[in-house]
Amino acid sequence: MQQIFSVSIFADFRALKYMTDLHTAVIDICDGVLNPADALAFVSDPRFGGIDMFIGKVREHNLGRVVTGISYDLFEPLALRTFEEIGERARRKFGSPMKLYIAHAKGELRIGDIAVIVAAGTAHRDEAFKACRLAIEAVKHEAPIWKQEHYTDGDSAWSEGCSLCEEHREAEQRGKAHDHGH
Amino acid sequence: MKVRITLFGALRDADARGFIELEAPDSCTIGELRELLRNHLREHAPNISAGLVQRSAFASEDEILHNHRALPENGQLAVLPPVSGG
Repeated sequence: MQQIFSVSIFADFRALKYMTDLHTAVIDICDGVLNPADALAFVSDPRFGGIDMFIGKVREHNLGRVVTGISYDLFEPLALRTFEEIGERARRKFGSPMKLYIAHAKGELRIGDIAVIVAAGTAHRDEAFKACRLAIEAVKHEAPIWKQEHYTDGDSAWSEGCSLCEEHREAEQRGKAHDHGH
Repeated sequence: MKVRITLFGALRDADARGFIELEAPDSCTIGELRELLRNHLREHAPNISAGLVQRSAFASEDEILHNHRALPENGQLAVLPPVSGG
């Protein structure tokens, strides 16, 4: 009985440790801004010699049109769950120890505002680069987030994006490969 | 059962309330709900293309629900057009 009790404590400790190694957030621009210093502080650790960070900002041109700002719409509970799943995937693929920070903005952003931050801290640079790349690509292609661009002429348009519908993705793979340039 | 479908992205244009309520059979699958939604939009939001509904996924707060899945017991769903974060 005593032995079972200690195993349970060990499992709880591991779960707690994992939670402290992954930070996920959706930040409403009305409540605050995304801060790279927070991401850097989170993934910094005496065990880590490598840190990689991706910062995505709103740019003033897209597809030949002048952009004045972007509205981000999110299905927040599923977005956060998706970020957690991405963190687990990165850990499975590149091993631990690893700290990962994933945060995305919500609301009306202006040119130059930070829309997304992904940061990875690992023992060596190779895993940090790879984990950061995996995480940002997965955020862009899998998280329930939508981008509406606003233009100087007063027009607005939702970005085309990636389908999350399995049946549609399969049909797409049988036909023409989807362009993941966005 | 009454199903409430929360709208996101380009599909928000389908209803200013941000959701659509449909009556669906208790045994309805997600694939069948997709057809019900498409028919509803054809009548009430003809500006939304049928292709956009076809490319959209359905989800609960926890997971994507593919076409073969049953409706959640609480009748609460979200419809997710193609995503474009970052």
